Amino acid sequence: MMLAAQGRMQWGAAATGLSVLLVLLVFFVVPVAKVFYVAFLDAQTGELTLVNFLDFFRTSLFRESFFNSLYVALMSVVVATIIAVPLAYFTTRFNFTGAALIHTLGVIPLIMPPFVGAVAMQMLFGANGSINLLLDEWFGFTIPFMEGLNGVILVESIHYFPFILINLSASLSNIDRAMEEAAQNLGAHGFRLFRRVVFPLAMPGFAAGAALVFLKVFDDLGTPLLLNVNNMLAPQAYLRISSIGIADPMGYVISVILVVFSLFSLWVSFLATRGRDYASVQKGGGGLMKRDLRTWEKVGAWAVIVLILIVVLSPHIGLLLLSFGTIWSFSVLPDAFTVKHYQEVFTTAWPYIANTLLYAGLAALLDVILATAIAYVVWRTNLPGRQVLDYLGTAAVAVPGVVLGIGYLRMFHDFNVPLVNEPLASWWVIIVVALMIRRLPYALRACTAALQQVSVALEEAAQNLGAGRFSTVRRIVVPLMAGGIAAGFVTAFATAAVELSAVLILVSKESDAPLAYGIYVYMQTAAGRGPGAALGVLAVIIVGVATYLSHRFVERTRAEREAAGRQAATGAA
Amino acid sequence: MQAKLLRAVGLAAVLGLVMLATPARAMEDKLVVVTSFPKDLTNVFKEAFEKKYPGVKVEMLKKKTTAGVKYIQETASNNTSDIFWASAPDAFEVLKGDGLLAKYDVKQQGIPAKIGAFPLNDPDGYYKGFAASGYGIMWNTRYLKAKKLPVPQEWEELARPVYFGHVGMSAPSRSGTTHLTVETVLQGLGWEKGWALWKAIGGNLKTVTERSFGVPSGVNSGDFGIGIVIDFFGFSSKATGYPVDFRYPSTTALVPANIAIVKNAPHPKNAAAFIEFLLSPEGQELLLDPKIQRLPVRPELYESKAKHLPNPFKGEIAAKVAFDVKKSKARYNVVNSLFDVMITYRLNDLKAATKAIHDAAAALKAKPNAEGEKLLAEARALVAAVPIDEARSLDPAFAGVFKKKRKKATDKITGRQAEIEQQWDEMVRANYAKAKELAEKAAAMAR
Amino acid sequence: MQSQRILIEDLHLAFGSTEVLKGIDLEIRPGEFFAFLGPSGSGKSTLLRAIAGFGPKPSRGRIVIGEEDVAGLPPWERNVGMVFQNYALWPHMTVWKNVAFGLEERCVPKAEIAARVEEALQLVGLLELAQRRPSQLSGGQQQRVALARTIVVRPRVLLLDEPLSNLDANLRVQMRRELLRLQRELGITTIFVTHDQEEANTTADRMAVLDQGVIQQVGTPMELYDAPVNLFVAGFLGSANRIRGRVVAEAGSRVFRGAGGVVLPVPPDEAEGEAWAIFRPQNVRLLEEGDASTEKVRQGVACFAGKVLRAEFLGSIIRYALVLEDEEEILLDEPHRPGQHVLREGERATACIDAQAVRILRQ
Repeated sequence: MMLAAQGRMQWGAAATGLSVLLVLLVFFVVPVAKVFYVAFLDAQTGELTLVNFLDFFRTSLFRESFFNSLYVALMSVVVATIIAVPLAYFTTRFNFTGAALIHTLGVIPLIMPPFVGAVAMQMLFGANGSINLLLDEWFGFTIPFMEGLNGVILVESIHYFPFILINLSASLSNIDRAMEEAAQNLGAHGFRLFRRVVFPLAMPGFAAGAALVFLKVFDDLGTPLLLNVNNMLAPQAYLRISSIGIADPMGYVISVILVVFSLFSLWVSFLATRGRDYASVQKGGGGLMKRDLRTWEKVGAWAVIVLILIVVLSPHIGLLLLSFGTIWSFSVLPDAFTVKHYQEVFTTAWPYIANTLLYAGLAALLDVILATAIAYVVWRTNLPGRQVLDYLGTAAVAVPGVVLGIGYLRMFHDFNVPLVNEPLASWWVIIVVALMIRRLPYALRACTAALQQVSVALEEAAQNLGAGRFSTVRRIVVPLMAGGIAAGFVTAFATAAVELSAVLILVSKESDAPLAYGIYVYMQTAAGRGPGAALGVLAVIIVGVATYLSHRFVERTRAEREAAGRQAATGAA
Repeated sequence: MQAKLLRAVGLAAVLGLVMLATPARAMEDKLVVVTSFPKDLTNVFKEAFEKKYPGVKVEMLKKKTTAGVKYIQETASNNTSDIFWASAPDAFEVLKGDGLLAKYDVKQQGIPAKIGAFPLNDPDGYYKGFAASGYGIMWNTRYLKAKKLPVPQEWEELARPVYFGHVGMSAPSRSGTTHLTVETVLQGLGWEKGWALWKAIGGNLKTVTERSFGVPSGVNSGDFGIGIVIDFFGFSSKATGYPVDFRYPSTTALVPANIAIVKNAPHPKNAAAFIEFLLSPEGQELLLDPKIQRLPVRPELYESKAKHLPNPFKGEIAAKVAFDVKKSKARYNVVNSLFDVMITYRLNDLKAATKAIHDAAAALKAKPNAEGEKLLAEARALVAAVPIDEARSLDPAFAGVFKKKRKKATDKITGRQAEIEQQWDEMVRANYAKAKELAEKAAAMAR
Repeated sequence: MQSQRILIEDLHLAFGSTEVLKGIDLEIRPGEFFAFLGPSGSGKSTLLRAIAGFGPKPSRGRIVIGEEDVAGLPPWERNVGMVFQNYALWPHMTVWKNVAFGLEERCVPKAEIAARVEEALQLVGLLELAQRRPSQLSGGQQQRVALARTIVVRPRVLLLDEPLSNLDANLRVQMRRELLRLQRELGITTIFVTHDQEEANTTADRMAVLDQGVIQQVGTPMELYDAPVNLFVAGFLGSANRIRGRVVAEAGSRVFRGAGGVVLPVPPDEAEGEAWAIFRPQNVRLLEEGDASTEKVRQGVACFAGKVLRAEFLGSIIRYALVLEDEEEILLDEPHRPGQHVLREGERATACIDAQAVRILRQ
């Protein structure tokens, strides 16, 4: 009887697990494998070989590219840390009115649409950008912010530091206050306290964020390409894959190496943080002691934060200037200001906006469904091999969008979708699927974290009252995970809305194109820079508002839950 | 609460699905164009064509030339594109070579067979020229003024020391139009001299952009002052109001921008109608739109509406080079790869060597020294050196290394692209390093 | 180290606008094992944390340890040892590192740190687990590590915040003896916070009962139990019958006349007026039917008749609830002996109590 019930429960879970696995295999593993297969072929004879990999390591250009990528990724982590740590510290440590501002504005950099961001940064920080023109005029020197690898590091760290900020803040606010008090009680305070107790405890969060930054930067294609930095791995791969008619397998070899190295670094960060998920060990919670700031401290804190935010939001500031500027060429500011770019965009951009909301929304929705299913199967069942789902879902973060896009073209072009009578590869749904796979890792992280915070006892209580497994998931687990699911949805949605690399390859009709593609098209013409920037601003606003609303939702559910928790605690005592 | 949210999202999803799926199913009469042209150009033709043929919906699928070729190649097995519409004839050659284009005979009359020295249409009848473009130099007037730089007139001038770090261009492997420019100079000056010039210019480059539009974009922003661009980029930037200008150097190629029907096109009739429309006087006039600014291929227009444009049929643009398409095609990939290995990927080394040469030359000019001059000449020769000669670049067996598939099973090909590039890279890097060293020595002698 | 005295004078402390401690005056003698007892929200933990320097700054008052007023000092300058309710062991450090932390902060020479950590771990019997991580220890072991970590720095006083609440019942008894042993061995002035009176009774030399931010009473456990100064203390420490009534002059003497027809003799010096009679259930005994008489009042025993409402078997005793007149209910405990006659619900019974076991409270 007991066994039978257990068995039935397992069947449902197994069916879920298998469906998820199937989705991941069909839309992720096989397409990517199809692309990677080329790396193992002799270009001339078509035989399987490893000689291409030998060529990779023999070529000094590739070795140099590899080290450049590594250097840029590591430095970006360092710079992103310098940006994120003070912001995280201020918001979690002090009763500070700027906290909400930081939390909202701190996420905005993640939703920088491609192309426009780099153009805006060039206008501000480039060799002849606003800052350098001013520096040159006033002091007679310039600073090469944007030259070569420096530029990549600057843009990447500004773009990706929120990953560290978000994870570190979460970690810091999960630290049991007593941990800190115990250290103070034993005589530690100030920086030593931070270094010896607070930071190590927040380390898992920091490591998770830093690993993500490292990975994204290491794999990132757009930024180096836009800054015309070619001596890095991702651009090398892309340039070679997308060259006309060239049969060079090196592009694919580099892709394989990118992915393998990314997976390796994921694994290292996993090993480094394994068994250190302190949040679950700590019982009290409640976050660090928050204290009020004295007036002069407040001024100082605001100064630091405003400075950081100005730097961090500079692409957006530049974007705004571009979108309202008439002509901006070799000058500190645009020659004049106008709203005509917005007028143009408002008349033409609605299909792009509608498509973006639809694609990113659907992809994010599918992501949280998949992610919840994966998290549940992995953490709440004992199906053999369930970890595979987690690994696959996470591994998607390491696969460049170009590779996925090409894989889809190869795999689904011959498959006609019934009713629509179009090849799957050129049907708009494939864009949603690509976005879904690309953003699954974000949703998976959020949902896994949320599920781990749901006590098993709550599920058992539901089952005890006669709820089946499905019903338990639907009525107890999912509502309790709502905050995490919403967070996952937001991250997936916001980042999917501005994704370009896979989209660029998969868009087969202009009427199917999302915003990122629209911006790309605008930015290909001299007259399109202003409207492109205006479209970029619209994208930021739309995604920003969506993010803010969901953030409010998350906060509210959390507040409700905490209130309920407090009540329960008082009731018990 | 979240149930409501989910329901709302779900509803939106379903609505969206219906909205988007409906037109897709209903479209009997449409036309899918894969193009590298900017929106400013394509939109004008799309609107005019749709107006003329009500009920036909034109889909402009914007792809970079290289990506467009890739796209048509990858989707060939289940083709959904009707027309490929881009500048670079080479791209059409590649598609033609892969058997991915359909033959088409134009009904429109009054279009000459040649523009300058360049045949307007594919002799085999696969693709047609619809507009002419010439390559030239574009510059930012504010930039040149601020940096006190003279306006360059000829390609050779871009190699002058004053322009060090002020020039931008794209790579031939990235941009079909840039490939044409590079190939034109190689054919005009000859293999050795041509490469020497490109490397001398290469040493002055601020950057090698990833897209061809990256060059006008950089000049427009003032990121660099001078760019090697195709004419319409210059014209349209100027028309938009940027403080930029453009001129044709005397050695340039006038090449047609082309259009072709993709093999197994789903809408061949519409495709044909579009080509006819494009070549009709009506369509040709659209090229004169200030945002487009391309040279029409109907000579009569230069007498009327296109008076302000240089007339390529009357030699107003000096296109001295008789462009050899066969030659270009034979070594297409070799030239791309050579340029990348020697310039794009080794830009920093090349710039360092060039800087040293410029410095040494300046020093020697101030204080001549025969020994120094000799070293300097040696340094220049090292920078200019090309790993392979012209004959080899045209050797089909050698070029085959860079090709996708063997044509016949009996074709013997030795070596892999990566292997060859690696050898080139080693040679190039060593040469640049040595050149820098020699130039520094030369400069020291003049001190 | 010399045992230190703790003196708290007129301590006020507020969370925002809510005053949580309202004028605490308390002296804890050197070497004393002292308990703060009270329901949750009474301010006992806040008071303890205030001594350690945590929480908001007191708005008024002094906290003197030894001769030093520490009220203005930050926690790290107080040298006050505190063991947290959830132990707060740092999960990223081994047991050894946890214990060594405070010594490292005090810049104690390395060799001495090793010796003292070893000694401390020896004292709590965990030397062999020194290289484990906290997550690999049981609750009791974590408790001991937390204790070792605190005492190794030789604090002036030791503060324990609900130290036993996270342990299971058996372990709790064992740990509580161990705590006491350690405290005696070290001679360190110790305060511990608890809401469990048994814990306080068994370990504390003296204790303070807090309610609503005010100390209700201070004394030895037995003093507090036997002579509570108010209804709260009486009710909080063990079960107590409370009967409302008046003290009246009667026949030259004083008598308490309360609800349910209860009449109790009181000492002649007891003032007249409204009052409560408090007495413990175990001091009430059952009489056979009909034994009650007013005569016995005069002899210092009061009896009252009622009906059995229920009988609960609690192991060592049987606890009866009797209903007197006016629905007044009292509890009485009878020691349980095998073969004893147990009254059933509804049976009539008479209960008697010695007058000296009754305490009259005005409130």
